[in-house]
Amino acid sequence: MSKVRFSSKRLLLTLMLCACSVILLQNYDISQNSSFVFNLLCMLCGLAVCFALFVPSIIIKKRTNLDFLTVAHTVTPKLKIPIAVLYSLYFVWAAEFFLLPYTDMFSKKYYSDVTPCLIALILLSACVYAALKGVNVITRFGIFLFVFALLTNILMFGGSTGTLDFELYGFEISGNLNDFIQNTVYFIIPAFIVTLFACLSGKTKNFRLRQPLFALLVTGVKYGLIMFFIWFSLGDYASKQEYQTFILARAARIGFFGGIESLYLALATMSVFMIISLVLCAVTKSAGRESDIKYVVIFAVIIFAAHMCGSYLNSVKEIFTNNYIFAVFTVITAAVIPSMYIFAGRKSNARKALHSINMS
Amino acid sequence: MRARLCIVLICLSAVLFSGCQSSRKIETAQIIENVTISEKEGQTLYTFYILSSADTPLKTEIPAESFEQACELAQNQYIPNITLSKLELLMIEESLIDRVLKTDIEYISTQPSFSPSAFVTLCDRKTLEKFAESTREQDIIEEQLILLKKNNPAVNINYLSVFNHFETKKTSEFLVGTVSFDGELKIGEKKDIKNEK
Repeated sequence: MSKVRFSSKRLLLTLMLCACSVILLQNYDISQNSSFVFNLLCMLCGLAVCFALFVPSIIIKKRTNLDFLTVAHTVTPKLKIPIAVLYSLYFVWAAEFFLLPYTDMFSKKYYSDVTPCLIALILLSACVYAALKGVNVITRFGIFLFVFALLTNILMFGGSTGTLDFELYGFEISGNLNDFIQNTVYFIIPAFIVTLFACLSGKTKNFRLRQPLFALLVTGVKYGLIMFFIWFSLGDYASKQEYQTFILARAARIGFFGGIESLYLALATMSVFMIISLVLCAVTKSAGRESDIKYVVIFAVIIFAAHMCGSYLNSVKEIFTNNYIFAVFTVITAAVIPSMYIFAGRKSNARKALHSINMS
Repeated sequence: MRARLCIVLICLSAVLFSGCQSSRKIETAQIIENVTISEKEGQTLYTFYILSSADTPLKTEIPAESFEQACELAQNQYIPNITLSKLELLMIEESLIDRVLKTDIEYISTQPSFSPSAFVTLCDRKTLEKFAESTREQDIIEEQLILLKKNNPAVNINYLSVFNHFETKKTSEFLVGTVSFDGELKIGEKKDIKNEK
């Protein structure tokens, strides 16, 4: 693998697109009983938590200019295997968390004749190739995806402005505690990019604090716009349909040209492809063999096997796609464990180990 | 090693892609472009207009209680290769408003295959007769509905907005587009659609 460092901006841009894709696969995750303004407040709380979870990774990056996994393996070599197992488990879980809704949406909304496992297999095959190329190449693809996402979003929002209905749906605040918890937990999910950042930021340079802030800010704006258009353009119709963002793309109309669900699906496909490619990079890194073909293929096979279980067993699928479990898991891997290493870094032996890394 | 792996994956994908053979081919699919709902001898008649290049519309008439039942009958008996995802226009005879408008719109709005931006309008019997004669009428009606919406944004011309008006508690009455034929096609609006919750 190349030892060349690439711009941190590019990694954060790619992670921002990954975070934005969460709402593309939204399916009744946001409470149907709460109002738009209430959902917006929940989103702000959720993204504030996401930024708080970023803090330990930022501190590690600023102090050592390395990723968390390298620091952990150096500071506590005895804990190498437990850390590797925990992060490998998390990344396999994260892959399922996005792959299962994506294949489900594809087969339910777009092409019902194809089995979800076939879509997963084809997508994973492409992801294996991307993971072998490394994070640097994937982040270059992120630049292309950013432009494509911008175009798709402009068409989706521009095509929906004609159907905005401010008479039927207003800016009132309504919702209860359960709605607040459900929505806020959902908006903490983008924090999975923090774990990815913690594991993949070792080869980046010129990191600035404003980069994660900007990534979360753009994510928030996109979430806000999608919720706005779903609320005011689709209204109650959205609550009767699965995958509301897909419906928003389908309902978009520009003159006589209507329905840009193909563009939306392409965007969702590329976003999920990028997430799983980065996850494969991160999972092999956590196992200590970054972009090693054997490890990439082994983890891809594990992800595919877990996807098959999730496709055929509904209880497994529910566990894999449970927002609460995933959010807790994310908090542990993104903030709790890195925080422990920050405090451990104060001890003299840990400081020596970190100093030796910096010197090398 | 990587090249070999890529070749194996491509071959595997090619073999698995053959699963698409069982899918419905575009040549054999019967794509429904429009549906009209009329009354004939006291019975509700659903007429499915199939997409074709002919000047005279290709249609299948199905007597049924509701749109849901009509779709089932079409699938099982009349049009086995039916595709409803490209449905663009639903025209309902004015006398059937109370009987079918709400139930059929609700059915369409809860199904994943229909496009939410498809047009829905009321019409008189003469328009339906004219509609069955030529394929040009559909384009004219759609253009006129878009113009009507531009001139009066309060008019509901697609079933997404009609459904939302039926679901909401805020309004008791709302507007939908109407088409009438009196020597030429005329587009207007009907005001007294009641939202009875």
